Amino acid sequence: MNLVFKMGEYEANFPADRKYAPNHMWALGTEGSWRFGFSAYAVRLLQDVYFLDWEVAPGMQVEQGKHIGDIESSKAESTLHAPLAGTITSINAQLLQDPSAINVDKYGEGWLFEMDASGDALLEPTAYLEHLEDVWEVTQKTIKGQFNQ
Amino acid sequence: MAKRVAVVVSQGQSHHPAKRQLEEEIVASLLGESSVDVTVIPHLYDLKPDGSAILCLQGIAQELIVLSWMFPRATRWILGRYGVLGQEGASLLDQPSDDAEDEEAEIPEPSAELQDALPRVIESIEIPKRKIYCLNLANAKEPSVFVDEIRRIVTEAQVQPLQPIDWLQGKPKPEQVKRMLDPAPGNVEHQGSGNGSVTDPQHDPANVIEETTERRWYPVIDMSRCTNCMECIDFCLFGVYGIDQADTILVEQPDNCRKGCPACSRVCPENAILFPQHKTPAIAGSGDATEAIKIDLSKLFGSPDVDAVEMAVRERDEQLLIAGRETVGDAVGIASRSASHAAGDADDLDRLIDQLDALDL
Repeated sequence: MNLVFKMGEYEANFPADRKYAPNHMWALGTEGSWRFGFSAYAVRLLQDVYFLDWEVAPGMQVEQGKHIGDIESSKAESTLHAPLAGTITSINAQLLQDPSAINVDKYGEGWLFEMDASGDALLEPTAYLEHLEDVWEVTQKTIKGQFNQ
Repeated sequence: MAKRVAVVVSQGQSHHPAKRQLEEEIVASLLGESSVDVTVIPHLYDLKPDGSAILCLQGIAQELIVLSWMFPRATRWILGRYGVLGQEGASLLDQPSDDAEDEEAEIPEPSAELQDALPRVIESIEIPKRKIYCLNLANAKEPSVFVDEIRRIVTEAQVQPLQPIDWLQGKPKPEQVKRMLDPAPGNVEHQGSGNGSVTDPQHDPANVIEETTERRWYPVIDMSRCTNCMECIDFCLFGVYGIDQADTILVEQPDNCRKGCPACSRVCPENAILFPQHKTPAIAGSGDATEAIKIDLSKLFGSPDVDAVEMAVRERDEQLLIAGRETVGDAVGIASRSASHAAGDADDLDRLIDQLDALDL
């Protein structure tokens, strides 16, 4: 079952089979070991991703919020930050060659990396949707503010 | 003899099809131009110091136009690193809304008073008379914008009587000798003879330099801003910086630099240190925060908010930890900066970062 959040006209879908991090990543896994990818909210903001680069490698310990990589799309760019404190265990190497899976299959083949970490800070889908309600206005201001410069 | 202008297209790092297409269309259009020699190289920043592309650039002595996916300052000073120097050619693409005549007065220098007081490293460098024009491929989507600008520059170059003097003094450059002995078909002299050739003039194909590159990450010093103050060498704990025989700052061990870390550029009082691939325009070498081309979503994706020096200290500590070393916080390498700037204004970079922050809400 999917939850839906309206970003203007666009309906962003969020599978209820997983948890979410406030920085717009989904987390799928069991307690202690998680696979992360971009939520539909992040992908909608980024649009066509064509460049992804990581500052981290498997085995590396990261603090929550640490700059772990960079992403660039046709419309936007961003630094990427660790959703939790923990150890990176795997990175989706396919995406480095061709990041299009992020757009095509964001909840499956487009996964980003895996971490060993405590998932206590992750949000249940409904809580993530409430978080989106809170940040949607700021998001729009960010985008419009940068467009108008 | 008509003067030829070297045009170098530095390819983008990413495989974005629109970028590749723009590069290819520009090159294709230029192959029809009679006074340009076109060379295609991998991304300039990533080139190996002893690779064939750098050797090729070092061999170009005439007017040079470099198109790259970087801010012109970054392109200019990456070239400078390799001794590829020249007078700064003014491109109309840099000032889309202003007359070219305004350009001298237009360059905003918030630290203008300091600028008068402190000599810049550039003043001690011998710079050849030829001009180097750096064009940012991100400035326009249409190839014609760049092709038209290149034509304008070529015309401008024709009226500068620099090379004939070298000829009279009997010091032809190696390329000039080569061209005289082996003139390329289809140059201006051949076409200008006007005796009704019915075949299209032949043009040299672009010289494509293949070189396997890996993404590199290192600081590039803008010597027109650098005052040789040594803040960077004090701050960086990874041995990136050194000094040359004339005691001038030098990026001595670029590959010691920690990937993604722009900390030294944040502590540079003159905003002279560039990281051309950094996403913040001010750090990547824009003169101006409004040159930001893309929407920056970093704040939405979890990037924290801090001031420039705090950020630099944190970035350095992160890199020290990754390298298995002890963190030093603000205890090393920033004291002299805070002393000399204690009562001063925020520097250029601080201002730019403040502007960027302001945009986020």
